[in-house]
Amino acid sequence: MTRKPAKARTTPAPRRRPGDDPQHGRALLRCRLLTRLTEDRLVRLYHQGRISGGVYTSRGQEAIGAATAAAGGPDDLYAPLIRDMTVHIGRGEPVLDIFRHYLGRVTGPMKGRDGNVHYGCLARGVYPMISHLGAMLPVVTGAVLARRRQGRPTVGFAYLGDGATSTGDFHEAVNFAAVFDAPVIFVIENNQFAYSTPTARQFRCANLADRAAGYGIEGLAADGNEALDLFQLTRGLVERLRARPRPVLLVCDTMRMRGHGEHDDFAYVPRDLLARYAARDPLDLARARLSAAGALTAAAAARLEQECLAEVDAACQQALAEPPPDPATLTEGVYAAD
Amino acid sequence: MPLTETTLVDAIRQGLRRLLRERPEVLLFGEDIGAFGGAFKATLGLQEEFGADRVFDTPICESAIFGAAIGMATQGLRPIVELQFVDFGMTAVHQLLNNAGTMHYRTGVAVPMTVRAPCGGGISGGPFHSEELEAFFCHMPGLKVVYPAFPADARALLVSAALDPNPVIFLENKYLYRHVKEWLPDDWEPIPLGEAQVCRPGNDAVVLTYGAMVHEALRAAEQVEQDGAGTVMVLDLRTLKPLDTDAVLAAVAATNRALIVHEGWRTGGFGAELAALVAERAFHLLDAPVVRLTAPDMPVPFAPELEKAYRPGADSIRAALLDLLEY
Repeated sequence: MTRKPAKARTTPAPRRRPGDDPQHGRALLRCRLLTRLTEDRLVRLYHQGRISGGVYTSRGQEAIGAATAAAGGPDDLYAPLIRDMTVHIGRGEPVLDIFRHYLGRVTGPMKGRDGNVHYGCLARGVYPMISHLGAMLPVVTGAVLARRRQGRPTVGFAYLGDGATSTGDFHEAVNFAAVFDAPVIFVIENNQFAYSTPTARQFRCANLADRAAGYGIEGLAADGNEALDLFQLTRGLVERLRARPRPVLLVCDTMRMRGHGEHDDFAYVPRDLLARYAARDPLDLARARLSAAGALTAAAAARLEQECLAEVDAACQQALAEPPPDPATLTEGVYAAD
Repeated sequence: MPLTETTLVDAIRQGLRRLLRERPEVLLFGEDIGAFGGAFKATLGLQEEFGADRVFDTPICESAIFGAAIGMATQGLRPIVELQFVDFGMTAVHQLLNNAGTMHYRTGVAVPMTVRAPCGGGISGGPFHSEELEAFFCHMPGLKVVYPAFPADARALLVSAALDPNPVIFLENKYLYRHVKEWLPDDWEPIPLGEAQVCRPGNDAVVLTYGAMVHEALRAAEQVEQDGAGTVMVLDLRTLKPLDTDAVLAAVAATNRALIVHEGWRTGGFGAELAALVAERAFHLLDAPVVRLTAPDMPVPFAPELEKAYRPGADSIRAALLDLLEY
C-alpha cells in the first residue's frame, strides 16, 4: 500500500496577538517542555525494562492540559485523563513524584498501589483517573457540586478523548451536570484516534461540540495545539462559570503523535495526518509565537530546556534510588479506618 | 418508654431522618426519592422536612448517581443514594467496583458513601425487580455489605453504614419492607457493622442466613422443634462484609450441623463463601456435610406459583433441616 506523500503545511507566521502575556506564554511553554522531557525519559526507562506495565505519552497534546491547568484558580478541581501530564505538572505535581509513581516507588503519590497514568493528588484537587473511560466525569461533577454546597466557588475540569464520548458515562455525566447546573468544563481532546479506532468509527456528528445543544448547554470548539489562545479562552470561561454555574463542552482539536502506548507502533495512523500535525507541534508553535513577540530569545529557550532537563535528570536519579513498596504492606489501606 | 409499631421501611426512614437531623454533611438523592418519597416510600416526607437541597431527585442515571456520590464523598459530604431496585445498579456497578472500591487503597482518601438498594423477591416483581445480588457486592474489594432482617437492626445499622468511612451497600429486602414489624422505642443506639446475631437459640443445627430468609428460617425452626426433631439455632448475619466469622464458627461449634439459606443464586452465591469458611475452619466440628438451600441458577420467574417454587421458604427450609438432623 502506498501512502500519499505528506502534504506540506507551513505554520502560519506567528504574530503577537492582543492579550498575549509573555509571562503566561513562558509558563505554558515550561509546563509543556517539562512534560515532554519527562515523558521522553519515561519512554526510555520503559524500553530499558525499568518501568513495568506501560507508558502512555501526551506527545502532541501537551498544550491542552497546560492551558486549562493554568486557567483554573486554587479552588478548582481537575480530573485529567491519559494524555494530560501537563495538567498534573500545571497543577503542581512535582516531576520527582511522577518518576516515583511510574517506577512504582513507595514514596510516590500512589505508593506503588497504582501505576502509569493513574495518579493525582486530591489535596491539590486533582483526581487520579481510573481506566474506564468516562468514569471520572460524574465523579468530578459530584465533587464540584459538593464544593458549591460548601460555599466554595469551585469550577471543575473533566477531560476525555473522542473515544470516551461514545460511553454511557459521558452522556450520564454531562446530562447530570446540565440538570444540576454544575460548573464543569468537559474538555474533549479530539486526538483523532481512540487506540486504533478513528473518529469516523466513533461518532457520526460533524463536530462534537454540536452535542452540547442536545444537553441544553454551550459547546465550544478550539484549536488544541495553541496553548495561549486556549488559555485565554478557558480563563474567560472559568470566570463566566464561576459567576453563573453551568457545564460547558469544550472540544479541542489535536493529534496523538505516538501510539496509544509505547507498546503500539501506530502503523494504522495515516502518515500524512501525522505530518500535518507535526507541522503544528504545540511546543514549536509556542516557541515561535514567543519568539515573534520578542519574549523568548534563542538563548533563553536553550536555557529553559537545560533547566527542565536538569530537573528531569535529578528527579529520575532520585526516584530510581528510592525503595519499592514492602510486600508486607500488600493489603494495607483497602479500607479506611474509623 | 412508649413503643411504636414499626415496619422495616419505617425503620429505614427513621434512620435516614436521624442522619439528616444530626449530620449536616448527609444528603440523599436518587430516582423519585424527593417529594414522591421513593418507589417504596422509604424517603417519604424527608424532602419536606429537610429541604430539596438535601433530599432530591436525579435523572435516571445510576452511573452518574454513584459517580457523583463518590465525588461528593471525597469532598466532605456523606451521600446516601437510593437505587430504585438493586437490579438497576448493575448498569453502573463499575463505579462501585473501580472507583469507590479502589479509591482509598490507591489514594488514601476515604469514600464515605452508602448505597441503599431494595432487593429480593416474593412480590411477583419478575426477573428485573427481584434480584438478590449481595454476592456481587461482597466480591468487590473495598466495599462493605449490610443486610438487615429486622426493623430495629435496619435503623441502627443504617446509621453505622452512613457514618462508616467506606462505601457501604445497604440491602433492604423489599418483601420485608412491610411484612416485618416490631414494637420499638423512639430512642435507640447504632449497631456496629460486622456483628451477627443469634435470633433463636438451638443445639442440634444452625441456619446461617440473612435478609428475608431469617424469617423463613425462624418459622422452619419452630416447626422442626414441634416435630420433635431437635432445636435449631438461627444466626442472622446482618453484615455480610465484613463477615462475623467468629459468630459463624461459634454457631457451628455449638450445633455441629449447618444449613445455609439465601434467596440469591446458588453458583458463586454468598452461601458458597459461608460453606467454604465452615469447611476450612470448622471441618472437625461437623457431624454432617454443610448444606446449602438457595434459589436455582435461573432468572427470577414472575408467576407467584413459579416464584414460590424458586424461592426458599419455611417449608423447604424445614425439609432441609429434617434431612440434616437425620444425617
